[in-house]
Amino acid sequence: MLSEFFRLAAQSILHRKLRSLLAVLGVLIGIAAVVGLISIGLSLEGMMKGEVSKVFGADTFVIMDKDTFSRGHSSGAKQYALDLPTLENVEGVKTVAAIRQRTAFVQGSAGADGKLTQGFFPVMGLSPQFLTEFKAFTPDTKLEPGGRNIAEGDLAVAVLSDELAKRLNVAVGDSILVAGEKSNEIKASVIGILAPSDAKQSQGFSGGMGATTTDTIYIPNAAMGQLWPEGNDFLVTAVRILPGYKVDDVADRAEAALKAEGSQVAAITSSDITSFIDKILSSVSVFLAGLAAISLVVGGVGVMNTMFTSVLERTKDIGVMKAVGAKNRHVLAIFLIESGLIGVLGGVIGILAGLGLSAGACFAINTFANMPGGVTFPFVASPVLILATLVSSFAVGALSGLWPARRGARMPVVDALRYE
Amino acid sequence: MALLDLKGVVKDYPLGQTVVHALRGLDLAIEKGEIVAIMGPSGSGKSTLMHVLGALDTPTDGTASLEGHNLEELGEDELVTLRGKKVGFVFQTFNLIQSLTAQQNVELPMIFLGVRKKARAERARLLLEKVGLGERLEHRPNELSGGERQRVAIARALANNPEIILADEPTGNLDSETGATILDLLKKLSLDEGKTMILITHDPDAAAIAGRIIRLRDGRVVQEVRNA
Repeated sequence: MLSEFFRLAAQSILHRKLRSLLAVLGVLIGIAAVVGLISIGLSLEGMMKGEVSKVFGADTFVIMDKDTFSRGHSSGAKQYALDLPTLENVEGVKTVAAIRQRTAFVQGSAGADGKLTQGFFPVMGLSPQFLTEFKAFTPDTKLEPGGRNIAEGDLAVAVLSDELAKRLNVAVGDSILVAGEKSNEIKASVIGILAPSDAKQSQGFSGGMGATTTDTIYIPNAAMGQLWPEGNDFLVTAVRILPGYKVDDVADRAEAALKAEGSQVAAITSSDITSFIDKILSSVSVFLAGLAAISLVVGGVGVMNTMFTSVLERTKDIGVMKAVGAKNRHVLAIFLIESGLIGVLGGVIGILAGLGLSAGACFAINTFANMPGGVTFPFVASPVLILATLVSSFAVGALSGLWPARRGARMPVVDALRYE
Repeated sequence: MALLDLKGVVKDYPLGQTVVHALRGLDLAIEKGEIVAIMGPSGSGKSTLMHVLGALDTPTDGTASLEGHNLEELGEDELVTLRGKKVGFVFQTFNLIQSLTAQQNVELPMIFLGVRKKARAERARLLLEKVGLGERLEHRPNELSGGERQRVAIARALANNPEIILADEPTGNLDSETGATILDLLKKLSLDEGKTMILITHDPDAAAIAGRIIRLRDGRVVQEVRNA
């Protein structure tokens, strides 16, 4: 009997094409908005987690100031003190690479007028391993021809932006003087100049971890150690573990060892960052769910309106059905199925439209937005989302139809037959 | 025992602030296989009587029984089932469901009684052939003439093979020629299939096919005539 009720409901929908279409459209727009927004949210999550896994992998963690991570932003990270040998000696640690930052007095060459160019500039100490073993942390940097990057074994060398090279009046092969604390100073040979686009777009070597500008001068960490022996200016430290160890275990040991030395740091693994992303995105999800609820309620009101009109218009049909043997529950079922079908129809088309919207947005971002560092927005079609939306679209349709359907079902047969 | 037996039936219903006394102590017995015409001016209680006879409504007072079942004692679902099995309705305005084809309209009463699809379709085809619409099975009501629509309605009334056919002004919306054909069809069905036929009508031609004519006035039977 139920299959017959489905057929009767479907025929009624088809018989009132325009009105059904408008009700379907109401649900469709709501569902498309829900699916589209949530899918874009999932793409964003996928992109963020993808980037994290690209940088971290399963064998890497970073040491940061404990407040920097818990506050939830990395630009302008708070600097911290760290004893590198302590970290290197933690069981399971394979490689350690760090970035330190200071402001230093720097002197370049004399200009045409014979005056020396000098000033205070940010100096960033870089472990050469950052450019080899932790390449994912540092986007590909391009140097002007004739130059090279900082490498293992380097000491008194520097890499700087083309803009700064001009200001300091130096070229590859020239020297600059960098002064550290007390009377520590080194005469660093300029070995590379960053190509203009890289100086601006990639924010230099630190991949956005430190407050880099086109003024920053990059020197090896070994040189940094000579200029400022007290290591309390670390921005970020990357650690790779030995095979066979679990990254979370090594990170916990490292954090404990450093804290025992007095460092106020946190060892952050990819799972920490992933759960942090989840935390941020869950509030986004709540917001999206709110929007979704509004869209669905609007769609539901549309279905309710259609069903009230339908019940009113078919009062006589209800009377006839009851006269020829339909019970109240039969009439209720027919109208509920009808409104549910309107919901599902809107749901199915809405899901396709929403996924199309999300796919289009991902395509547009990937094609036209020119995201730095090759970041891409993956298109995500979540089966859970699709199934949940399909069920809820039927529920919205059926629930919106409940009130009108009950009115129809409870109508006394004699009154329904008399209705003009 | 009469097929339909009404004893002292009173039916009152509220209309705004007043109460309408539609039936005022009406006695009526209709035997199996009879053709009965119920006539009377507007407001005489014809329609209310039809509702009680067709188990669409129950009396305010008195007793109404159909095949020995006292209507007041039945629950709502039992009343619907009894009606679905025992009574077929033919209305003045045909009352076909516009979204369904002729065959689907005829199948409708059988759906609610749970008749299987194949048996249902076969019976609907047979009945539509019987009323001369074997070629119109897939037509929707708006594709049929008035006479054809009433034939579909008659076929629908016969769907569950009921004992009683209750026809409320069956020729009221038809021209005289089509009306005469419909009356012939109703009479033939009554005689061939032994159905009890109750016609509610203003039309003397319709009443002419009945074996008994009952006249109502102010909710009471005022005259009962047997046709020769």
